[in-house]
Amino acid sequence: MAEAQSIGGQTSVQKQGGRAGWVTGRLVLFCLASMAVTVVAGLVQVSFGEYSMTISEAWHAVFNPNVLFNLDAWSAFLFGTELPGMSTASIVVWNLRLPRVFVGIIAGATLAVSGAIFQAVTRNELASPFVLGVSSGAGFAVLATLVVFSGLSPFLPLIAALGGTVAFVVVYTIAWKGGTSPVRLVLAGVIVNMVFQSLQQGLFFFADDLGVVQTAVAWLTGSLTGTGWDEVRIAIVPAIVSIAIAVAGARQLNVLLLGERTAQSLGMRVERVRFFLSAVAILAASVAIAVAGIVSFFGLVVPHIVRNTVGGDYRRLMVGCLFAGPALLVTADVGARLALSGTQLPVGVVTGLLGGPYFLYLMRKQQSMGEL
Amino acid sequence: MARTQQETTRERDRITDGDGVAVESALIGDDLELSYPTSNETIVDCARIDIPEGAVTALVGPNGSGKSTLLKALSNHLEPATGTVEIHGEPLESFSQKELARELSVLSQENDSLGSITVEDLVYHGRYPHRGFFESVSDEDHEAVERAIELAGIDDLRETELGQLSGGQKQLAWIAMVLAQETDVLLLDEPTTFLDIHHQFRVLETIRQLNEERGVTIAVILHDISQAARFADYLIAMCDGELYDWGPPEEVVTEQLLADIFGIEATVEYEPELQVLPKRSLPDRRT
Repeated sequence: MAEAQSIGGQTSVQKQGGRAGWVTGRLVLFCLASMAVTVVAGLVQVSFGEYSMTISEAWHAVFNPNVLFNLDAWSAFLFGTELPGMSTASIVVWNLRLPRVFVGIIAGATLAVSGAIFQAVTRNELASPFVLGVSSGAGFAVLATLVVFSGLSPFLPLIAALGGTVAFVVVYTIAWKGGTSPVRLVLAGVIVNMVFQSLQQGLFFFADDLGVVQTAVAWLTGSLTGTGWDEVRIAIVPAIVSIAIAVAGARQLNVLLLGERTAQSLGMRVERVRFFLSAVAILAASVAIAVAGIVSFFGLVVPHIVRNTVGGDYRRLMVGCLFAGPALLVTADVGARLALSGTQLPVGVVTGLLGGPYFLYLMRKQQSMGEL
Repeated sequence: MARTQQETTRERDRITDGDGVAVESALIGDDLELSYPTSNETIVDCARIDIPEGAVTALVGPNGSGKSTLLKALSNHLEPATGTVEIHGEPLESFSQKELARELSVLSQENDSLGSITVEDLVYHGRYPHRGFFESVSDEDHEAVERAIELAGIDDLRETELGQLSGGQKQLAWIAMVLAQETDVLLLDEPTTFLDIHHQFRVLETIRQLNEERGVTIAVILHDISQAARFADYLIAMCDGELYDWGPPEEVVTEQLLADIFGIEATVEYEPELQVLPKRSLPDRRT
């Protein structure tokens, strides 16, 4: 829990330096709780499965100094060099189960951050990475690759991200009329979504192999099954970059939320900031899509949960999302992997099943859902 | 002595106050023709408009006379179809967005209400143009915010969330935000509309104080002509997208003007002080 302590330390430093009153006790508590959930869920994930071990065995494998302090092992994990010899437990934990947890952490954080950005940029609490066409564009690209250009399958994550970006650019172009507006962006997103979804459904008719269809469905619902260090390697750098920019841009988002005219008269180049931050959100969402497919509802619900707990200030919201996203996705993935013995559900099914009702609950409970 | 626009166009090249002394203009709109991108219709057509330096100017006119549109053009929110706007002698386009926001602040008519932000946080947003992308709050920012909160008289509301404030308190909070910008020129679009009389006065007194203590140039759209007449140093009366008259209130406010642009019959008393007493609407009001 060294990380937790360093965060506590940061808080006190920030409180001294200038007016950093935005770091509240509630936020710190929320982040610590989220982190605890992530760790527990991660350990459960690591311990159970076909090669079962006790919690303490799993702990020992995770904190096995022979692996933790083995540079060769880390270079194998992070750069794909040859794996040094280690015990079966270590291999199962470090090479099969832990990377899946890491992918969950990365995808959870990026999706949550991306959703939070989109909700501010469009000033619409129904916005998510997927409203602006990203998901359907990525989904279509994935399906097209699997069904038509199966030779390109190794590049699936890249293609997914590319598809998402293209769809977003299309949405932005449609919405652009000497400037964009949140409403036009969302409308264009909905329409582009519909077109791409029709295309997806059309493509399914051309898939003659059941395996291809299953892979495609796993992608389209979002799944962490079979993810490993490869996925971590793909995702880690863009994830860190996009998250860092998002956290740094939290103040811009706060000003953007004051309304376009106010933001402009405060000296913000609204169009430019909106486009730039949208691009960051796309990058973050693409990272998640590339490694986990399209995890439904996640980017929409998590910012709401965090907002409900720590308030609407984006400086707090971003930090909260950063911790809550991983906690929720890793937990959901535990459910997806272990709930039904013998078969694994796509994690997107779990998030959709839990996220939808929770969102409804939030709506019923809160009178002022309309306000960000 | 209601002058028509045509008569005064030439003499207004150099504006004068009541005693005939020339006044510097902080903001000049020259040969402006304004329309919105969505339509070709010209909303405002005015040869020249001056906002005198260090004074309070009130824009008055009926609904739809183009006051807000004019204000948008003066604050670079609307690009004029023709004509230029200059601030302190330099065209608006020569400023970057942030530079301009350090010279000129605007309070829009409708502010999207954010529920969950505290008044203090809102006022800190007024420092946006003074801060870089990664810069944190400086002592200077802190002092500016304190001054703004004090001037607006909302010290007791600091920690309150915007959603819990009344309309009048909310308006004062927004005004505190633009005050924190600490600009030389401040434009306000109907800051007193929808407020009770107490808060109307609070807002106007804050503006007056700002003008007197810091010499800030102020242009404000007011709906209430009698209030505007008593409050402002200069009046700009607009009608159908054109400048009807311009000058000190005693010269501009006449029974003729009230009939012409507002379509009301009213008595104007000049002694002991300017007073407008509206009586009834005129039947032959143009639409």
